[in-house]
Amino acid sequence: MKTTRPILLAGCLFLALAGTAPVHAAVDEAAAQALAKKNDCFKCHAIDKTKKGPSYKKIAAKYKEKKLDEKEAIKQMIEGKKVKLEDGSEEDHKIIETKDPKELSNLAQWILSR
Amino acid sequence: MKKTALFLSLALIGMGSALAADPAKIDWGKVPAVNVPLFYPGQSSYEWLISDAHKGAAKETKRGDACAFCHDEPDAEKDIGNNIVAGKRLEPTPVKGKNGYLELKVQAAFDDKNAYLRFQWATKSKNRPSIDYPGYRFDGKEWKAYGGPQLNADVLAGKKPAIYEDRMSIMLDDGKVPNFAKQGCWLTCHDGERDMPKLATKEEVAANPLMKAIKRADVRKYLPASRNDPSDWKTGKTVEELARIKAEGGFVDLIQWRAHRTNPVGAVDDGYVLEWRNFDAGKNHFASNMDNEKKQPKFMFDAAKFGAKALTADDFGKKDMFLIKGVNAVPFDPNAGWKEGDILAQYYLSAADAAGSAADNKGTGVWKDGMWTVVMVRPLGLTNDDDKTLKAGGVYSIGFAVHDDNITTRGHHVSFVRTLGLGAKADIEAVKLP
Repeated sequence: MKTTRPILLAGCLFLALAGTAPVHAAVDEAAAQALAKKNDCFKCHAIDKTKKGPSYKKIAAKYKEKKLDEKEAIKQMIEGKKVKLEDGSEEDHKIIETKDPKELSNLAQWILSR
Repeated sequence: MKKTALFLSLALIGMGSALAADPAKIDWGKVPAVNVPLFYPGQSSYEWLISDAHKGAAKETKRGDACAFCHDEPDAEKDIGNNIVAGKRLEPTPVKGKNGYLELKVQAAFDDKNAYLRFQWATKSKNRPSIDYPGYRFDGKEWKAYGGPQLNADVLAGKKPAIYEDRMSIMLDDGKVPNFAKQGCWLTCHDGERDMPKLATKEEVAANPLMKAIKRADVRKYLPASRNDPSDWKTGKTVEELARIKAEGGFVDLIQWRAHRTNPVGAVDDGYVLEWRNFDAGKNHFASNMDNEKKQPKFMFDAAKFGAKALTADDFGKKDMFLIKGVNAVPFDPNAGWKEGDILAQYYLSAADAAGSAADNKGTGVWKDGMWTVVMVRPLGLTNDDDKTLKAGGVYSIGFAVHDDNITTRGHHVSFVRTLGLGAKADIEAVKLP
């Protein structure tokens, strides 16, 4: 069959790439950003710019350095703990308006993969 | 618009020194365009801006952070406007069918004589823009106000028809008004003003020392610096203190193109905001058509030129009803056989009467295929004490507003503040014309 080889090749390539891809490969970017926007996350955070809160890139780097994981990021979103803002003041972090574990996981992964 | 009015507009703009460009001949295709998103702000007053109701932003706005510092995400203006216009917050009387968002295309150019600002936006109505204005209707005995803007209580209650002119407005500062570069027009929008929360009563205004001193009967736009408590319209500074702030340039220019009251005579009005929304010194291109002593209009239409001496309710939305001195207006004749239902214009227009600083700006607007194209012409180098002086190389903070579809006051679409540079780096860079 003439078509078998390309399909097999493509399949292998997919597996090979999957093996090397980072954990966040499965992140639904559009859904994560939509959830962040719906919850006004972008009022305080930007991807690579310091606003009222740190950029998502800075957060991701900090989590990586401190070896913190997705669970810690989700706790930050759902517990409303006090956070230190970029101007040095402190404020209760906004509690995200979803309890869906999949949505929370997706958003946490998206943030940590910046 | 009638061809005569349009011709007059273009002819007036074309006048001027040889150094000034004819706006109609500027090749706007070669001038970069900036799309400025405008949104419906509802009752988001300065007091709301700095309050805890402005969630997560009170501390920041009080210390003077810029609106766009937080509201810079994609579609920020669209989200805010759609939310407010639907009455989810900050809008107690949503106008049915009103859009929360509007895109304004802005282009700018200048030469040795003038700055030219060109604006384009789509109107809600695709059949006819809002070029009419409320009038005076004869009820058989007296001439009484007829029609009103959409947010008017009687209009909302269906007791009056919705009638008002479209407007394109800019507020402009040269860096002398504290924080205008960051919070723009919100500095001028306050509780107590018309159609805003805590509307000032007639009695409160009558008893207020500043309002008495400046002879005003209601509260309009003002800058925080004009009050001892910036959030309380009642705490006005003395006339002497206000004069000092004005002399130091602590006011914003407010320039408005009006589809009914200025466009037919090729004009754009000229005002400023400090303790109130003032017109510049001199005489506007439009004036009240009511003789308050005689309780009757000053002018009526010349039947030979207009086809009738007055309008009727049926004419609104159909007939161009600009009453222009020297063109189609004649002195009011009380014995002309007035009958109930006759309507006359609330304002008469006159380019020839306009004078002084109030008459600085020119401009014209053409509506075609559901889109206004407006060009404002502002002279450079003005030295009046109620004008911001524009000059080559200057950078200015500028806010934009459009009133669309028979509405006024808070019923506009507004922008976050931008910068305008005349041959200088800015959000909107005016191109030097050859």
